[in-house]
Amino acid sequence: MTEFINRNKRQLTWALYLIAAVAILLFLGDQLAGKKAARIVQTLISGVLVGGVYGLVALGIVVINKASGVFNFAHGWMMVVGGMIFWSFFTVSEISLLGAGLLSSATMLMIMSTVSWRNLREGRNPLITLGGIIVLTALMTVGGIEWQWLHALTGTFAGAILMGLAVERFAIRPLIGQPLFTAVLMTLAVAEVLHGVTQIAWGTVELNLPVFVDPQTNSRFRPIRLDAFRDVLDGVAIVRVELVIAFLLALVAFVGFILFFRYTSVGLAMRATSEDQQLAQSVGLRVRVILAITWAVAAFLASIAGVLQGGAVGLSLNISFVALRVFPAVLLGGLESISGALIGGIIIGLVEQFGTLLNSSEQVGTNLAPYLVLMLVLVIRPDGLFGEKRIERI
Amino acid sequence: MANIHPAGVFDTTYEEDMSVDRTARDKLWKNLAFLALLLLPLVSVSGPLGLGWVSDQYIGLIARISIFVIAVQGLNILVGYTGQISLGHAAFMAIGAYGSAILARELGFSFWTALPASALLTGLVGLLFGLPSLRVKGFYLAMATLAAQFIIPWVLRYPLEDLTGGTRPLSVPAPMIGPFAPYAEDPINADQPLVFQAGDPYLVDVISVDFTGLTGAYPVIELINPAGDAIPYGDVYMSVSEDSDGNVTGLSYIASKAGEYQVAVRAQNGGEFTAVIRRSKALSFAADIAMYYIIVPLAVLLMFLARNIIRTRTGRAFISVRDNDLAAELLGINVFGYKLRAFFLSAVYAGIAGCLLAYERNSLSLNAFELDVSIEMLAMLIIGGAGFPLGAMFGVVFIRALQEALIPFLRPWLSDWLPQLFPFIDAVNITSAINPIVFGGALIVFLVLEPRGIAHRWEVFKVAWKLRPYSY
Repeated sequence: MTEFINRNKRQLTWALYLIAAVAILLFLGDQLAGKKAARIVQTLISGVLVGGVYGLVALGIVVINKASGVFNFAHGWMMVVGGMIFWSFFTVSEISLLGAGLLSSATMLMIMSTVSWRNLREGRNPLITLGGIIVLTALMTVGGIEWQWLHALTGTFAGAILMGLAVERFAIRPLIGQPLFTAVLMTLAVAEVLHGVTQIAWGTVELNLPVFVDPQTNSRFRPIRLDAFRDVLDGVAIVRVELVIAFLLALVAFVGFILFFRYTSVGLAMRATSEDQQLAQSVGLRVRVILAITWAVAAFLASIAGVLQGGAVGLSLNISFVALRVFPAVLLGGLESISGALIGGIIIGLVEQFGTLLNSSEQVGTNLAPYLVLMLVLVIRPDGLFGEKRIERI
Repeated sequence: MANIHPAGVFDTTYEEDMSVDRTARDKLWKNLAFLALLLLPLVSVSGPLGLGWVSDQYIGLIARISIFVIAVQGLNILVGYTGQISLGHAAFMAIGAYGSAILARELGFSFWTALPASALLTGLVGLLFGLPSLRVKGFYLAMATLAAQFIIPWVLRYPLEDLTGGTRPLSVPAPMIGPFAPYAEDPINADQPLVFQAGDPYLVDVISVDFTGLTGAYPVIELINPAGDAIPYGDVYMSVSEDSDGNVTGLSYIASKAGEYQVAVRAQNGGEFTAVIRRSKALSFAADIAMYYIIVPLAVLLMFLARNIIRTRTGRAFISVRDNDLAAELLGINVFGYKLRAFFLSAVYAGIAGCLLAYERNSLSLNAFELDVSIEMLAMLIIGGAGFPLGAMFGVVFIRALQEALIPFLRPWLSDWLPQLFPFIDAVNITSAINPIVFGGALIVFLVLEPRGIAHRWEVFKVAWKLRPYSY
C-alpha cells in the first residue's frame, strides 16, 4: 500500500485535486441551480468586465516584480492617488496656474534628475526641462471646463510619473543592497504615507467621478438590457455600460503596454533588466534608470486603473482594497507572467461576482472568496498558472 | 555584536557565555526596573497611597503598551528569529480576544482559564495557517498570512455572528478572583427586590440566582438602580450555569461599577421556580489600574521566555532556519517542524495579547484587528529591531511615544497652516490622517537609516558606554 502510494504520488495528488474540484463544482452547481439563467449570465459578463480592470492592476504589480523582484503593496494607494488627481483636474473648472506649474515643474525636475542632478547643468537639459514645464503647464491649464479631458489626462500623467519616480528615488533606491524583505516592507510604509496624504488632500468621502457619462444627456449611461435573449435566459440580464467601457479601455491599455514591452527599446531594456540585473548592467544598460522608469510605468498603470475603477464604481479610499483582491490574481497568473495577469484578473473577477451572487449579504465575493483562491494557489501551485518555476540554488 | 563586558570580566565557561545576566549589576538594574514598574500604580492619582505623582492615563498607557509588547514579541519569534514574514498577526490576536470572550460569556470560563484556553486555541489556528510554509516561503508565505488576515475576521464576523455579535461591539467581563464564601442568602419566590449597597471598585458583588424546580422559561433578572432604571449592560455582566442535562440552574451577575442597586427576579411565560439569591464578594480587576497587575508581570514573563528561547535548541534551530533554510535542513534540522513551532508560539503570544486586550477594554470590536494593525505591528518590530529580544519593547514604546506625544503636538499646528497654504484641504481630515503619515514616515526613516532597529543602536550604545572613555 505504502509502496503503491509512493510510486503513484503524482497521479494520486491529481486524483485528489480532481475529486475536490468535482465536489466543489457539484456544490456550486447545486447552489447555482436555484438562480435564474439571466442572473448567471449577468454575473458571468460582469465578472469578466470587472476582471479586466483587475488585470490592469495586476499588470502594474507584475511589471515591478519582474524588473526588481519587489512586490508592491503600495499599488492600491497609487491607484487612489492617480484617480484622485484625475478627479481634481476633471471636475475643477478653473485650474490654478500655480498648482499646475508646481506639478509640472516637480515632474520635469524629477524626470531630468533621475540619472543625476548634475544632468540639469549640462548641455540642452535645462532648456528641455523648461520647455517640458511650459508645455505640461499649458496642457493642464488651457481653455475652460470643455478641455477637462486634456487637463485631466495631462495632470494624471504628470502626477503618476512624479509619484512613481519619487517613490523609487526616496524609498526604494536607498535600499539597494538590502534584502528584498526590506524593500517589501518599504512598499508597506509607502502605502501608509500615501494613505495619509490622500486622506489629507481629498478626504474620506466618496467622490463622484463622472467619466463614463452619456454625452447627450450628461448623466450616467442607461444599462444595456439583453432583451433579445429574454426567452432563452428566463429573464433579462443587465450589463452596466460603465463596466463595459472600463473593460475595453483596460484591454486597450493592456495591449498597449504589451506592445510597449515588446517593441520599444525601453521595453526591451526593462525585459533585459528583469532577466538579470547584473547581465543587463554589463551590456551597458543603466539599470538604475530602468528601475526608475519601471516604477513610473507602474504608477501610470495604477493611475489608469484607479480612474477606470473610480469611474465605474465611485472614487473613494476603498479602491485601495481592490489591489488587495488583485494579489490573488497576480499569484494565480504567475508573478512573472504578463498575460497571466489578465487571466488571473478575470478569474478573480468571476470568483468575486459569483461569490456575491451566491451570498450577497455576507461579503463573500469581496472579502472571502479571493483569499480562499489565494490559499488554494499557494498550496497547490505556488508558481501560478504561467509563472516560472523557481529553482533553489545553494 | 560581540559581547563586551566591563574590564576584568571574562567568559571562561559556556554557561557564562550564555548567561542572561552576566554581572550582578546587570541583574540589579533589571530587577530595579521591574520593581519600579510594579510600584508605579501605587503612586498614581487613584493609587491607594494617594500621592498622585503619576497620572492614571499613563498607567493605562503602560498596560496597553505591554499588551502590544506581548503581541509584537510573538511576531518577533516568527519574523525575527525564524524569518517567516507574517501579515496576519492582528487576525490571530482577534482569535485570542474573541476566543476568550466567547469562552467567558457562553461557557462561563473565568479569566484565569479563558486566558490559557484561548492562547492554545490561537496557537492551533496559527498552526493551520503555518501549514503552507511546507511548500512556500518568503514572500509567498506572507501572502498566505495575508489570506489569514482576511479569512479569520470574515469567519468571526459572519458565520459566528451569534457568538461574536458580528459588527456590533461585544462586552467582556472583568477578570475576578473569587467569589469568596457567600455571606448573604435570601430565598425568594418572585418579584421581591433586594437592596444592595455599592461596593468599592476592587471588591465587587457577585449576585447569583440558583433555581430549584424551574419549569418553563427562566425568569428575568434585572439590576435596577435607585431611580428605577435597569443598569446598563456594560456595568454588569451575566453568566449562565447549567447542569449536565443542559438545564439552566443559575444565573450570576457581576456588578462591577453598578453602585447602589436592587435585584429583581420576575417569572415570565408561566415559569415557576424557587430561587435563592446569593451575594458574595470577589476581588475584581475592573478598576482601571488593576489590570495593570495582570498585564505587566505577564508581559515581563513572556519577554523573558522569548529571551530564553534563543538560548535553547529550539531557538538555535529557529535562527538557523532564518539564516539559511537549506543549510539548516542539511544540518539535520526538521525545517518544517520548526517553522510550525514558530507559528504556534507566535500565535500563542498573539492569543495572550488578544485575550488581555479584550479584558482590558471590556469591549471588543473587529475594527481593532484589521490589516492596518498587522502592518503596524510588523513595522513596530522592524523599528524596534527584529531578532533582538528587546526589539519588540523598543518598537512598541517608540511608536506609542510618537502617537501619544508627537501627534497631539503636530495636530493643532498642521490644522492651522495646512488649510491656509492649500485652500482645498479640509482641516477635519488632518486629524485622522496624521497617524499613517507619521507612522509610515518613521518606518521609511528606519528602513533607510537603521534597518536593524533601535535594539541594535542600544547594543552599540551599551558597548560605547562600557568602553568609555576609549572608543575601542
